[in-house]
Amino acid sequence: MSLPTDFGPDSGGRLKGVCIVKPIVYGNIARYFGKKREEDGHTHQWTVYVKPYNNEDISCYVKKVHFKLHESYANQNRIVVKPPYEISETGWGEFEIVIKIHFHDPNERPVTMYHILKLFHSGGTMDIGMEQGKGLLSESYDEIVFQDPTQLMHHLLTNTKQLTLARWEHNTNFEEKKEKTLKSITEAKQKVKAEIGVLKNRLKLAKETISQFKEEIAKVQDNQYVV
Amino acid sequence: MADVRDIMELEHPASQEVTRESIIGSDKQRKRPPTTTKTQKRPEGMHREVFALLYNDNKDVSPLFPSDTGHGYKQTKIKLGMRKPRKWKWVPFTNPARTDGAVFHHWRRPSDEPKEYPFAKFNKKVDICTYTDAEYQQHLRVDGWTKDETDHMMQLAQRFDLRFILMADRYDTEKFPKRSVEDIKDRYYKICGIMSKLRGEKKIYTYDVDHEKRRKEQLKKLYDRTQEQIEEEQFLLLELKKIEARKKERERKTQDLQKLISQADSQSETPRKTDKKLPKKKIANPSRPSRVDTAHILQAVETAGIKFPDYKNSGVSLRSQRMKLPANVGQKKSKGIEQMLQEIGLELNPIPTEEICQNFNELRSDMVLLMEIKSALSTCEFELQSLRHQYEALNPGKTLTIPPQLISNLDLENKAGTGEIIDVVGSPSTPTS
Repeated sequence: MSLPTDFGPDSGGRLKGVCIVKPIVYGNIARYFGKKREEDGHTHQWTVYVKPYNNEDISCYVKKVHFKLHESYANQNRIVVKPPYEISETGWGEFEIVIKIHFHDPNERPVTMYHILKLFHSGGTMDIGMEQGKGLLSESYDEIVFQDPTQLMHHLLTNTKQLTLARWEHNTNFEEKKEKTLKSITEAKQKVKAEIGVLKNRLKLAKETISQFKEEIAKVQDNQYVV
Repeated sequence: MADVRDIMELEHPASQEVTRESIIGSDKQRKRPPTTTKTQKRPEGMHREVFALLYNDNKDVSPLFPSDTGHGYKQTKIKLGMRKPRKWKWVPFTNPARTDGAVFHHWRRPSDEPKEYPFAKFNKKVDICTYTDAEYQQHLRVDGWTKDETDHMMQLAQRFDLRFILMADRYDTEKFPKRSVEDIKDRYYKICGIMSKLRGEKKIYTYDVDHEKRRKEQLKKLYDRTQEQIEEEQFLLLELKKIEARKKERERKTQDLQKLISQADSQSETPRKTDKKLPKKKIANPSRPSRVDTAHILQAVETAGIKFPDYKNSGVSLRSQRMKLPANVGQKKSKGIEQMLQEIGLELNPIPTEEICQNFNELRSDMVLLMEIKSALSTCEFELQSLRHQYEALNPGKTLTIPPQLISNLDLENKAGTGEIIDVVGSPSTPTS
């Protein structure tokens, strides 16, 4: 990695107004053994991973990925310094895995994600074609936003290589999901706005009626004092 | 003994003999040879531990100013056998306040001069005004009072030192009609007033008999209340408090109302329209006094709904972080948002692209606004109801009609099911739909 000399890690200068977005996918796949393993009671094999959403080699700017497993695992802090950024283990229970991505420029703080390791099917998990429903997948999409990156980081972010020459695909069709979600959110927004409009008018009417009532009462009270 | 005292740095006693002084301990210090050492000596009788608090070593100067040095405590021992006890004598005495000359006894020192009985001075006599026959005939004749009765009343006044309650009690009801305390007081003070006027006194005591009668009547009524009446009164007072509290709450909400309306305007319409609308409202309003000033409205526009922080800070962040509700959104609101999202069938954490983030945040901000408008509306409905009741109470037989679109289903149910009074004091129903 050759860098122009003025991009030293200490340059610290940030490129104001520049914003680079790197979408990523993280999650886990799991496979059921089919039975409980005798020696340790483990039932599943699983792999937790972080990968780029787009076809690019994120090791250009990612220094390491830190997976923090459940404390019952020997060596619960696992660090992966080169792709694929994943950890495979066996186990019998679900727990929260803390995933921390560190970048090459120490001036950029690491980002932290939380993933609930899924071994059993529930809402949000997907079947993947493995031995009659024994494999499952649970993954999420997120975007790392680099606001005003440092010069070094900017250089690293904009000079990534393709990860593979083949098609880079994901198990989840995120594009479709994006479209659908956006559509339903916009629809909901319209609905709520319409309702706000109706209620707002009603509120105005209510206010006017209240002041009208107050005037009426004041009138009656005045009359009473006169009488 | 002396060696031990030297070691302990204690004073040598003035003499070893047991004398009267040595027991009583008087004037001992004065006889003591003056100490030559610079160090402060422990005052006699002072505990070593206490003294140690003051002086740790010779060089340490006490932070306290010694107030009683060299003399020790004022009195180390009780002074016994100094004087013979003085005698007390059981002697008779008379009380000059008494007219019957009764003789009582009490203890007294024979050395004390016999004095007048000290408590006699507390026997105060009231000056009762007097009148002659001529004066009575000329000035004091009143319908309903004979001279005999007046004389009787004045005698009673003299006898009981103007204790009117007693006077009324001992009144000769066989000879004269029964008089109340107020009647007697009235008559007496009128006579006094006339007499002092005749004597040219400027200050005349007047007695407001009507006021006094009314006051006593009221007290009697208050006293004669039954337990149920007292309970009812307390209940009503409690209700009143509740109503007042609700009223305050409503007033507060009314203040929020204006800002909600303007907020709704600014959100649902284009900014250009809002600009036009606000000044218009200001012109339309002045006839009606509004508690909310324009500064308040402008400020409110920024506060209603949810204010998401704008991630303009440099550095790395996750897009999904921007969809987190700010900490100032309360539990109630976030629950409400959750519920609405579930009703619509949206995920609580949708896939975080920039566009979705923005729209999702706006959606939730609108949802909060909607909830606030709803609760404001229900407050208004409630106020309308209570205003109508107020009107009906003031103007029996007449009523005010609330526009039908302002009556929510919940209120209709309320009206059908429960009484009107409960409607006033009950809490305004918050529509959940």
